[in-house]
Amino acid sequence: MKRLLSILLGAIALAGCHSIDNWDNDAPGNFDALWEVLDSHYCFFQEKGIDWDSVYSVYRPMVTPQTNVTELYVICTAMLDELRDGHVNLTTPFATSYYKNWWSDYPQNYDSRLVEEHYLHFGGLTRGGITYAMLPDSIGYMRYGSFSYGVGETTLDWAFALLSPCKSLIIDIRDNGGGSLADVETFCRRFIKSRTLAGYITHKSGSGHGDFSDPYPYYYDPIDPMRIGWDKSVVILTNRSCFSAANNFVSFMSALPQVTLVGDRTGGGSGMPFSSEIPCGWAVRFSGSPIYDSVMHLTENGIEPDIHVDLDPEAALDGIDTMLEKAIEVAKENAVNS
Amino acid sequence: MKTFKALIIAVALAAANTATAQQDTVRPVLSAYTFEAGSAHLCDTYLTPLRYSGWNLGLGYERMQAMRFNPRRWVMRLDARADLSRSLNPAGNAEMWQIGLRPSWSMMWRTSLPHGFTIAAGGNVGADIGVLYLMRNSNNPASARASVTIGATGMAVWNGRIGRLPVTLRYQPTIPLTGVFFSPDYDELYYEIWLGNHKGLAHSAWPGNFFRLDNLLTADLRFGATTLRLGYRCEVFSTKTSGIVTRDITHSFVIGIATEWLSLRSGSSRTPDAAIISSLYQ
Repeated sequence: MKRLLSILLGAIALAGCHSIDNWDNDAPGNFDALWEVLDSHYCFFQEKGIDWDSVYSVYRPMVTPQTNVTELYVICTAMLDELRDGHVNLTTPFATSYYKNWWSDYPQNYDSRLVEEHYLHFGGLTRGGITYAMLPDSIGYMRYGSFSYGVGETTLDWAFALLSPCKSLIIDIRDNGGGSLADVETFCRRFIKSRTLAGYITHKSGSGHGDFSDPYPYYYDPIDPMRIGWDKSVVILTNRSCFSAANNFVSFMSALPQVTLVGDRTGGGSGMPFSSEIPCGWAVRFSGSPIYDSVMHLTENGIEPDIHVDLDPEAALDGIDTMLEKAIEVAKENAVNS
Repeated sequence: MKTFKALIIAVALAAANTATAQQDTVRPVLSAYTFEAGSAHLCDTYLTPLRYSGWNLGLGYERMQAMRFNPRRWVMRLDARADLSRSLNPAGNAEMWQIGLRPSWSMMWRTSLPHGFTIAAGGNVGADIGVLYLMRNSNNPASARASVTIGATGMAVWNGRIGRLPVTLRYQPTIPLTGVFFSPDYDELYYEIWLGNHKGLAHSAWPGNFFRLDNLLTADLRFGATTLRLGYRCEVFSTKTSGIVTRDITHSFVIGIATEWLSLRSGSSRTPDAAIISSLYQ
């Protein structure tokens, strides 16, 4: 009985020892909290070759108890930029940090006015974030600018039904910064006829930089046979601003035999974001769960197109989108060859 | 064979005792409906490393009755609570909501002591289902709570009078000792669980990784057939698994109504001198 009691009391003591990190709510404390949150939860240190301890030794001396909030924000965002990750944000009452170099270092390669004016003639049908139209020579064009808008199954039925006379389809996702993976799945299911491996997801299983779970395969199922899909050739038009869910979309579609990627490398962003916060109430978002493609490649740094082409600014002045022109050319070739 | 015969005789005698007890005793049901209000201090490192503080509200139902087979010694207790908390982070710029439902059933052996005291101890089977929702988070906004546990409970009761008013004071601690509880892995998103990865979500519980101590202190002021229940509850809950630490501490003031009642089957008769064996009161 004494032994049982001592085990019980020991267990109670152990339970009381479930330690939770504690930081001072001053500039050094908040900096340390931010660094530690990323140290324990960020998922791409190893892939990007980032020495996070070195980052600490560079930025920590800049912070003193006298550092004010705007100075702290500048130091913290500079530290976060070392992660080179568009999924990393520090949200404060006066600003949200945003790493931009993943797209700002490259040509934008998209001008919506150019497409609207010279190819769609300010026409086309728009519903649920999708604009679609039939271009000359029976080439279908579908513009999906964001996976945040959501798209209904019925809308997709109508879109694919109205585009069904087309021989080939161009899906223009330039500047699509991502959104919901559920919408990606809804869209992708239109292009497969059987259960298809979409990729692998994994997550941090501990605070170490190399602590990860076993990759878990996930699959997309085809749409209900009563719905309308697309089994002809597809050209996907991409640029550097295709990020996150849009990157996942490209990752899945590029593995399908009827799909050709045209344009510029995508922006990447294959880590599912995780959220946390620091004592002063600032929120931090960062990549927490890596998603791999169907052959276990990490697409965090983007996906190369099959055919690289940039937007020619001079041609654009003449109303020509050189990337869309290339996509039309490839679509026509695919239509002939299929 | 001798052992077997002895066992049969013992069971037969117990059955005879039970039959006698059924004939000579009535066992009123004590039902209490309570409202709880107080403070909540919550932390779940899956959602945030910070401690949130705010208010907690709860509704409770408790039902106690002496057991049929040995009503003077054994008593059962059914307890169900639903609670809701709203709390803020230390900076006061993010809110977290918590909702939970906790049914449990206990059976206790009791003995009377001098001066109106009774003590009891026994086992407890409990379940817990709930969720914490941190509104500012993107892909990890919620942390689900679910457990089924077996534990220990007990009570120390004093029945007496304050002036002419019959009063029953009770302290009742409950602690789970083993069971199963749900927790995602360290940074596992619920999206991954939704995709079908259910590996490693169930964890065996022991007080070192799943600790809950529910302390309930009640004062039942018995005004005739109706009882006013006043009390205080302090619940400490802490888990640690897969690198995730949770810690909830709530302090609540309890107020409610309790009453004892009997259900009589149509046509049944009781001897006038049948002993009334209450689960809590004397």
